[in-house]
Amino acid sequence: MLIFRKPIEGIDRPQMPADVVIVGGGPAGMACALRLSQLIDVHNAKNPESQRSKENIYVLEKAREIGQHCLSGALLDPRSMRELLPGFEKEAPLDAEVTKEAVYFLTEKSKFKLPITPPPLRDHGNYVISLNRFVKWLGGKVEETGITIFTGFAGSELLFDGNRVTGVRTDDKGVDKEGHQKSNFEPGYDLNAKIVILAEGPRGSLTKQLVQKFDLAKNANPQTYGVGIKELWEVPSSRIAPGEVIYTMGWPLTTKEYGGAWIYGSKDNIVSLGFVTGLDYADPRLDPQRVLQDFKQHPFVTKLLEGGKMIRYGAKSLPYGGWWAIPPVAGNGWMILGDSAGFVNSARLKGIHLAIKSGMLAAETAFEVLRNDALKKDDSSAATLGDFQKKVESSWIKDELWKVRNMHQGFARGFYAGMFHTALQMVTGGRGLRNRYPAKAGYEHMRKLAALPADGGAEAHLLGPAKGDGKLTFDKLTDLYHSGTKHEEDQPSHLVIHDTNICNTRCVKEFGSPCQNFCPANVYEMVDDATQPSGKRVSLNPSNCVHCKTCDIADPYQIITWVPPEGGGGPNYDGM
Amino acid sequence: MKILVCMKQVPQKDAPLKLNETGTWIREDVSYEVNEPDAFALEESLRQKEKHGGEVVVITSGPARSQQVLREALAKGADRAIHLEDNAFVGLDAFNTAKAFAAAIKDEKFDLIFTGLQSDDYGYAQTGVILAELLGWPHATIIMQIEKTDSGIKVKRELEAGFFQFVDMSLPAVLTIQSGINKLRYATLIGIKNAKNKPLRKVALAEVQSAIGENLQKIERLYVPQKTKKTEHIEGTPSEIAKKLVDKLRNELRVL
Repeated sequence: MLIFRKPIEGIDRPQMPADVVIVGGGPAGMACALRLSQLIDVHNAKNPESQRSKENIYVLEKAREIGQHCLSGALLDPRSMRELLPGFEKEAPLDAEVTKEAVYFLTEKSKFKLPITPPPLRDHGNYVISLNRFVKWLGGKVEETGITIFTGFAGSELLFDGNRVTGVRTDDKGVDKEGHQKSNFEPGYDLNAKIVILAEGPRGSLTKQLVQKFDLAKNANPQTYGVGIKELWEVPSSRIAPGEVIYTMGWPLTTKEYGGAWIYGSKDNIVSLGFVTGLDYADPRLDPQRVLQDFKQHPFVTKLLEGGKMIRYGAKSLPYGGWWAIPPVAGNGWMILGDSAGFVNSARLKGIHLAIKSGMLAAETAFEVLRNDALKKDDSSAATLGDFQKKVESSWIKDELWKVRNMHQGFARGFYAGMFHTALQMVTGGRGLRNRYPAKAGYEHMRKLAALPADGGAEAHLLGPAKGDGKLTFDKLTDLYHSGTKHEEDQPSHLVIHDTNICNTRCVKEFGSPCQNFCPANVYEMVDDATQPSGKRVSLNPSNCVHCKTCDIADPYQIITWVPPEGGGGPNYDGM
Repeated sequence: MKILVCMKQVPQKDAPLKLNETGTWIREDVSYEVNEPDAFALEESLRQKEKHGGEVVVITSGPARSQQVLREALAKGADRAIHLEDNAFVGLDAFNTAKAFAAAIKDEKFDLIFTGLQSDDYGYAQTGVILAELLGWPHATIIMQIEKTDSGIKVKRELEAGFFQFVDMSLPAVLTIQSGINKLRYATLIGIKNAKNKPLRKVALAEVQSAIGENLQKIERLYVPQKTKKTEHIEGTPSEIAKKLVDKLRNELRVL
């Protein structure tokens, strides 16, 4: 019997008042905290008689340490950082400035270089960074301001008073597998906040609660996602220059799937490479971790990695539905930032700079609300937080996203149609054939096994688990080991399956249990069970979870909800 | 009871390690955590304080990053902290570390000093024992239980093969604590918040420099073991093969 994680009911919880609670200490949340502190500093310098305190501003971060759950390619467009901290280049951990870029189209054995790099992928002036190290540094700046970052604490529920978000409940600690309190049980706190800011990254779990409760996405396109599978390699010297950037399209994906790879040269012979597979593929047997392994067997990539060593592995989803998929980002007591909102430029494959900018704008709004609150102005914060919506829409966030608003939707019918629409959109300022291309959720593209060729057809090489040779390619468990993932073992499953009967009776037959394939961390297994008519039963290894959220997104029945496990657990993305 | 807990920040157990240029230690760009037995030592000190009153002080040595272990300890309930802050402390052997600690606490009067059994990185298991000798106090290692008695304490030591030893000791004393002696508590939000205002005394290298001498132990070379694989065919009749195999397992590989 699977027991799923949920806040313990009927207990007294410690209460803590807060001005602002930021859920998630990634680039968006940290930039928000830092900007808020700057605004308070400026205010305090000008108004010695009415000093404002940062004491009740909190950041919740589920990782044990700042930055340990941050994974990205990553290239940083410095635009927003220059606004936040002018001259940041001098002290931030930037690994290399981009000096060279190329885009290739791959077939199984060959490669074709695009004669010109498409403008969105021209990266001169951007920096190769490790998002993990970058956020660690940014978090250090936040801590210096006196704002408290609670590492190892997740937001498990939003608190409501009618239609107003009034706070965040943190995770219960010390709950055993059966859901009982252990001797060291610590109840989650109720942080009663004037403003709650959600900066949870892609497919945020509190954001999901909020969007569902108020049906916020009703006028937006369904958000579409990809999952990025990343490996960090140390390679023999001079294989790739620091700051060299390579993108590939094509193989191993066919023209039907959306996705592509990145290869970034960093310093000290470190190479970041990864493959983003759109979570809107048709064949449920497709395995994104395998796609990366196949990619590495292309002669072009093999030559780059040969004799090197894989040192880190990880996976993370990313939203690339674009402008039309963004729900309202502010309301009564709440604001949504960064990847949680969907601020990703899918043509440039970048979102960190937008996350940071959204954090800064939210900080400005929060500061105004707190000031009005302090002045006891009769000003409902709902209206004032709505100011964040306006700020986003009049900022360069919108300028940038508007131009590519129809980018991903254009690929719904495959690669060639996608290239056609992209070209058309480029010359029409993002419009293409119409102002707003529709979209459907990625999981709706998944097809039942009966409708697919038994041998996989053109996709055969993408299906099923990777075997791995242990040198260039790896099976999932070997890769997973390199993610440094660790959880308290004795806790309920934080992968909440709302109806396991569907897994054991319908999904196993209709889709062949795709959870086993799309999960890059071997969390889901179908084990033999004679008591089931299908002979199979779903079994979970929640301790393997790398917090990528792919299952929550890609499950064709939408019966999986990812909730945060006991705070402190998760991957360890050193250098990622 | 006034208890000092010696804690150390060590590289995370599964961190991908890289050797430094001289091949004598690892490069610093890994993530760190509290040395596991030290976390149990801290928990034990907090439990003793809760039972018998007193004060818990935590001490560590190392660069700025190692302050994290003190912050965590203060968040869980330690009263104050001492940080011997300098990168040079990382390279000290157990003897010099103990000397530096002894110098840093010379004006304090503790009833008990706890250390973890050993560190997860160097694994010397010596600092606590040497510190006891420097202070002229009794010590006991691999502690699994501590009870206060009229004359001092009674401790349970873990021996090999499931045996335990019970020892009565007078105070002050030094104990090295075994992992698993108790169940660790979680830090709470209010604990973390309050920790910001608890006293943390920084001790510079210069203040204890005169107590430290040349390292008596030195790491000459650190290297990653080369994986080698050798296949050997044993030939003969089944009984000859069995005999040769047993001989190899017993005398060459020494696994029997």
